[in-house]
Amino acid sequence: MKSLSIDDRLAKNRFDSDDHNPHIIVDKNACKTCNHRACTYSCPAERYKWDTVNDLLSFDHVGCLECGNCRLVCERLKQGIDGYSWDYPSFGKGIIFREG
Amino acid sequence: MADERFQVIVIGAGVAGSAAAYRLAKAGREVLLIDRGKAPGAKNMTGGRLYTYALKALLPDEWQEAPFEREVTREMMMMMTPQSSIAIDSTFSVKNQLSYTVLRAKLDAWLAAKAEEAGAMLVPASTVDGLMLKEGKVCGVRIGDEELEADLVISAEGVNPLVFERAGIIKPVENSNVALGIKHVFRLPEAVINDRFNTGSDQGVAILCAGECTKGISGGAFLYTNKDSISLGLVVDSLSWKNSKLPIADIAEALKQHPAIGRYIEGGELVEYSAHLIPEGGIAALPQLYGNGFMVAGDAAGFVVNSGLTVRGMDYAILSGIAAAETAEEAINSGNYSRTALKSYEDRLKQSVLKDMETFKNAHDYMAHTQHVFTTYPMLAANLMESIYHVDGSPSKRVLGTVREAVAGKIPYFNVFKDMLKGARSL
Repeated sequence: MKSLSIDDRLAKNRFDSDDHNPHIIVDKNACKTCNHRACTYSCPAERYKWDTVNDLLSFDHVGCLECGNCRLVCERLKQGIDGYSWDYPSFGKGIIFREG
Repeated sequence: MADERFQVIVIGAGVAGSAAAYRLAKAGREVLLIDRGKAPGAKNMTGGRLYTYALKALLPDEWQEAPFEREVTREMMMMMTPQSSIAIDSTFSVKNQLSYTVLRAKLDAWLAAKAEEAGAMLVPASTVDGLMLKEGKVCGVRIGDEELEADLVISAEGVNPLVFERAGIIKPVENSNVALGIKHVFRLPEAVINDRFNTGSDQGVAILCAGECTKGISGGAFLYTNKDSISLGLVVDSLSWKNSKLPIADIAEALKQHPAIGRYIEGGELVEYSAHLIPEGGIAALPQLYGNGFMVAGDAAGFVVNSGLTVRGMDYAILSGIAAAETAEEAINSGNYSRTALKSYEDRLKQSVLKDMETFKNAHDYMAHTQHVFTTYPMLAANLMESIYHVDGSPSKRVLGTVREAVAGKIPYFNVFKDMLKGARSL
């Protein structure tokens, strides 16, 4: 079976994305001090990547599957400290599972 | 001043919430069912298989109209090494309709429609932002600037119960108490699935895998046949995975390439890639289940039992929805919505959900801490099978000798004995 990149896999899904209001907020600069960066390998949609050129986290909420795993592997998201918050999208935005 | 007033507000139109709303609406109660998805089911995902007894209890005359995929009549257990696998296969001739494969987008929409037909008011595409509290009692919900009042609020908001967590009413979900599920759905013609799995059109297969699929991390893989698609997925313990530092999306992709799996999905077109958390903390992780003006049901309450060989959540979700509705009925009749009045919710759960959770209270710990189950044993089993059937003319050994050779150096006999004993007591 052909291997699919994460973008190819996500492209099969239906999203009604709220491009301008991210439901998850992270402080990319503050993330530099994180010692595990679990978000970069625990997100099934690979929305968190470590940009090694700029030594900075890159995050895109569009394509998020809303599983909530990042909220639990990241202490800062979990506690909702300054610069970090995790919410579900409003008004039915975000992932729309057609199979589920 | 609240804009609207209901007898009961249910947060979440998954199977727990819709079951509760259906029961209450049938009894003539004013019930509001709120879901954050554009339509019920849009945010939900299952492996998945539904054990039907709970749906029968809710809808004795109509449960067979539910949008089932296939009745599970063939169960397989598979152990995988990087290149090999061995499986235990079975065929059951009795069609007893005990369980069906399902897809949540269809199932949840159907069940929510039943609640609506019965008279519940369904409001989709609305995310509850917070609760209204008065003198320590939950008395409604907030959506944006709007306030909706109710005598009782039932949280069926799912595995991430943000509303109740943030209100400080239930303890927050911990990383150590959830598993992460990732699923691919591949479209294949119905006839191809029938041929490939040797089944009739309405019958299907459930395959449970352990070993290489999770790279030895606590968890497993599953494969279910739907009518004209195959659900293939991976479930891993979230905390163990965090500690493993392995890239989860790549491991999910690699599952497709394993020779034991690839042959089943060959030619299938990926139609959806989804992910969802599963509460797996068991009875020790249960939050407060009821209190002044509220009850918690389904995944929000952590009602999932992973016995090691079966994972059940949707049936308990429906049962807890029914129990919450029955308790709400009593409370409405007596006009008492206090914690004391709602205690009978727990009594009802003790006859079903909580009883099973008590039985399997050690299963999660056993699976999470008995690493050999996911690494050494699949390897041993596959190696043993291979050596038994590998005949090339060199001197033969009796089976016991082959077993000793397969085990030698990999794991002390005593550990095998200990794992078996502990397993027998926990699973």
